[in-house]
Amino acid sequence: MVVSSKVILSSSDAQSFTVEKKVAERSILLKNMLEDIGDSEEPIPLPNVSGKVLKKVIEYCEHHKDDDPAPAEEEREVFDNARSRNDEISEWDGTFITCENEELFEIILAANYLDIKPLLDLGCKTVANMIRGKNAEQIRELFNIENDFTPEEEEQIRRENEWAVDA
Amino acid sequence: MFVTNKREPDLANTWAGLEEGVNTVMTKLECGMSHAKYMQLYTSIYDYCTSNSSSPQNTVHKTGVFIMKGAHIYASLNEYLQRHMKSLLTASESLVDENFLIYYTEQWAKYSVASKFVHRLFAYVNRFWVNRELDDSHKDVYDIYTLTLVSWRDNFFLHAQSKVMNAILSLVERQRNGETINTTLIKHVVDNFVSLGLNELDFKKSTLEIYSKYFQNPFIEHTRSYYQLESEKFIAENSIVDYMKKAEIRLAQEEKRVEEYLHISTKGVLIGKCEEVLIKSHMLPMQDEFQNLLDQDKIEDLTRMYGLLCRIPEGLDKLRTIFEAHVKKQGLISVEKVAEAAPTEAAEDDEDKPPPTKSKSKKPDSKADVVDPKVYVDSLLEVHKKYAELVNGAFRGEPGFNASLDKACREFVNRNSVCKTGTSKSPEMLAKFCDALLRKSSKVAEETEVEDILNSIMTVFKYVEDKDVFQKFYSKMLAKRLVNSTSANEDMESSMISKLKEACGYEYTSKLQRMFTDVTLSKDLNQAFKDQMDLSHGTSKDDYDFNIMVLATGQWPLTPPNTSFNIPEDLMKTYERFQRFYQNKHQGRKLNWLFQMSKGELKTTYLKASKAGYTFQVSIYQMGILLQYNNGISFTWNELLTNTNLSPEILGGQLGSLLKAKVLLICPSTSKVGVDKEAKFDLNPDFKSKKIRINFNVPIKSEQKVESDETHKTIEEDRKLLIQAAIVRIMKTRKSLKHLSLMDEVINQLQSRFKPKISDIKKCIDILLEKEYIERSKEQKDQYNYVA
Repeated sequence: MVVSSKVILSSSDAQSFTVEKKVAERSILLKNMLEDIGDSEEPIPLPNVSGKVLKKVIEYCEHHKDDDPAPAEEEREVFDNARSRNDEISEWDGTFITCENEELFEIILAANYLDIKPLLDLGCKTVANMIRGKNAEQIRELFNIENDFTPEEEEQIRRENEWAVDA
Repeated sequence: MFVTNKREPDLANTWAGLEEGVNTVMTKLECGMSHAKYMQLYTSIYDYCTSNSSSPQNTVHKTGVFIMKGAHIYASLNEYLQRHMKSLLTASESLVDENFLIYYTEQWAKYSVASKFVHRLFAYVNRFWVNRELDDSHKDVYDIYTLTLVSWRDNFFLHAQSKVMNAILSLVERQRNGETINTTLIKHVVDNFVSLGLNELDFKKSTLEIYSKYFQNPFIEHTRSYYQLESEKFIAENSIVDYMKKAEIRLAQEEKRVEEYLHISTKGVLIGKCEEVLIKSHMLPMQDEFQNLLDQDKIEDLTRMYGLLCRIPEGLDKLRTIFEAHVKKQGLISVEKVAEAAPTEAAEDDEDKPPPTKSKSKKPDSKADVVDPKVYVDSLLEVHKKYAELVNGAFRGEPGFNASLDKACREFVNRNSVCKTGTSKSPEMLAKFCDALLRKSSKVAEETEVEDILNSIMTVFKYVEDKDVFQKFYSKMLAKRLVNSTSANEDMESSMISKLKEACGYEYTSKLQRMFTDVTLSKDLNQAFKDQMDLSHGTSKDDYDFNIMVLATGQWPLTPPNTSFNIPEDLMKTYERFQRFYQNKHQGRKLNWLFQMSKGELKTTYLKASKAGYTFQVSIYQMGILLQYNNGISFTWNELLTNTNLSPEILGGQLGSLLKAKVLLICPSTSKVGVDKEAKFDLNPDFKSKKIRINFNVPIKSEQKVESDETHKTIEEDRKLLIQAAIVRIMKTRKSLKHLSLMDEVINQLQSRFKPKISDIKKCIDILLEKEYIERSKEQKDQYNYVA
């Protein structure tokens, strides 16, 4: 594999990004495809990712391009276990992920689509941190969710979950 | 909560596109696929799976059961694969044998590559639907790659496997018949069968179930019948030796076959089966051939036979038995030859003419006495060496054969035609051989070889049962070497002793070692005595060169003289001085003078034949006799007897060599020594000799024989003491013991020295009962108690 070889990625809104192959291969989807089909001079269309988000994703992948290579499927389980134990977010990642909710969700979706596990985890951890310590009403507000429970239903749920509420 | 704003895709449309894509992969992957196409297929799966639900991948089924959308894709793919497999199967129907195999393996090669491709293309289904199903332990759901394997297995393989195997087996048979075949074809089939062995619990791992059931089993069965037929036919038409060559080649071929194209797990089974058919079924005729091969020393064939039969459990047992008997027989024959050759040798009294003419006139017992120890030991060693080489070479040093060799050697070393009188003959011979080697001016061997010979003596020694007999004779002969300073080399002596120590332990050699210490101490003692004498008496002509050895009684196998003796006047002074000197130095010690071992030199002044005078080397007894003649020239038997105070037997013996050499003359010359009491012994003034130094102190043959017999007798006595000591030792620790266990333990303790006879042990137990060291238990008759 030639390190300097480039890959052109094309977003849903037809923006092209030329990145190092190494960067593109942070996405397991792209990595597998490049392995199975071979390199390409043609742009690779990513119909589910907008240019704006793709730019963000590439920024992430650029930064992490020298991380340990994404684990092969067989080793994933071990790898995942090791990582899920660690819910700390590095400084760079923290700054990187700080953005509007709308954008955050789109990054998560893109990470899922492109199969970039660390980025997906980063997104999900961030969302989890947002929820942490908030009550239902606050969460509804945060994510702009309509309360579709009746007060009776709500009361019942509260009773059922009393044990879990911090004393 | 994440809502895409695309139009919702439906299954029919999605799958139609996907199937076309999958089919391309399956059938025309070699034409390649564009990145755009790949992304399109992937995205369509992604879109379908994430569409139309509030939670991203789920849809609410009418019955209320959640069915993930992935299931639709999965099921459609499964259906497609079934169809694809059936089409492959149909296409293969007209093909047979090798052509069929080619088709099968080619399709498989294509399919397995395509399957991996599809697996990744469907990664989203794997990640979000299959994994979840697996986490919920749903059966019959596989990751996509495994699904393709399952489909191949169920829809193609199971219908085609017998056809595959028939083709494979006929290929293998052709190869076994010597044809060249396309082995990669088989290799690929093997790989295919192995791949299809799925581990239902973990798709990453495979089992050999399929391979073992559908490939290995028929293959092994085919192998069995092939070789059964072949070996029976071959053995009927050829010799066993040739058959063994054939079997060896076949086994090597099969091992190579495993490496070439079978799964490694087959190795054990295949080779096991081949061993069974090729070796075990024909074990008996092979074992029967063994004796012939031994008789003819066919090393190469013996090696081959070992190589074959060692593969079979118990295959070697019979060989070991035959081998043991054979070695024993060879040993006995070898000794027999020596024993038969011996009398003629002895009669001619010359070493280098041993014509082995059979002479039955002499009794075997006397034969044994004249067999040269070296020839005897060599005859034992020769057989041992030959078969030890065979064991280490042809039989690869196998412990069982070594044990058989040891057993056989022990038999013929201890019980052979030279040892007819008993097992104590071998150790005696061995000890004599040692003596011959270690004595000064030994012609038996070059000095450089001695060490090697001592090592081979130890080889025989290992087999000797009566190690105590060896010890007795060895220490006797060592004592003689030391007392007479006839030991050739002190290094050799201590080398031998350390070998014995290694073999039998410290106790065995402690006395031997003490003997050396005494010799060294004696040297110092002589010097000290001489210095003391010089100091108190000055040097005077009256003094004689005097050399003495003071030896510890218990350590040396020496006995005090069995005759009285008047110390000659001339020696008395020195005798008394040393006695005083020693008593002064070591108060309370008693000196026993072993005159029978003492010797001295006399210088003649009365003979005309030599002006310078002769030097007579004589025993002290002879000296006692001859010194009488300073006072007269003729003495009667009785006079000599009185003057020397020797016993008649000793006096007679001592006079013998003096009379023979004509130093003294008996008068009248017809009278017999010791019988005619009035006979006179005259000094012969005309004595003549070519030599200036003449040795009269020669051992008398009859005495040697008596000594050897006596040694054997003392051994019996010693053994009784050893047995008693062992019994007491055992009883002291055990306090109470059954008769049989006591027997066992006694035998155990003593067997490194000798094999105690049961009857002897019983006698010793009786003695100890009488002496009240032990008593019979009151409760149990067959039990003894230790009496403290």
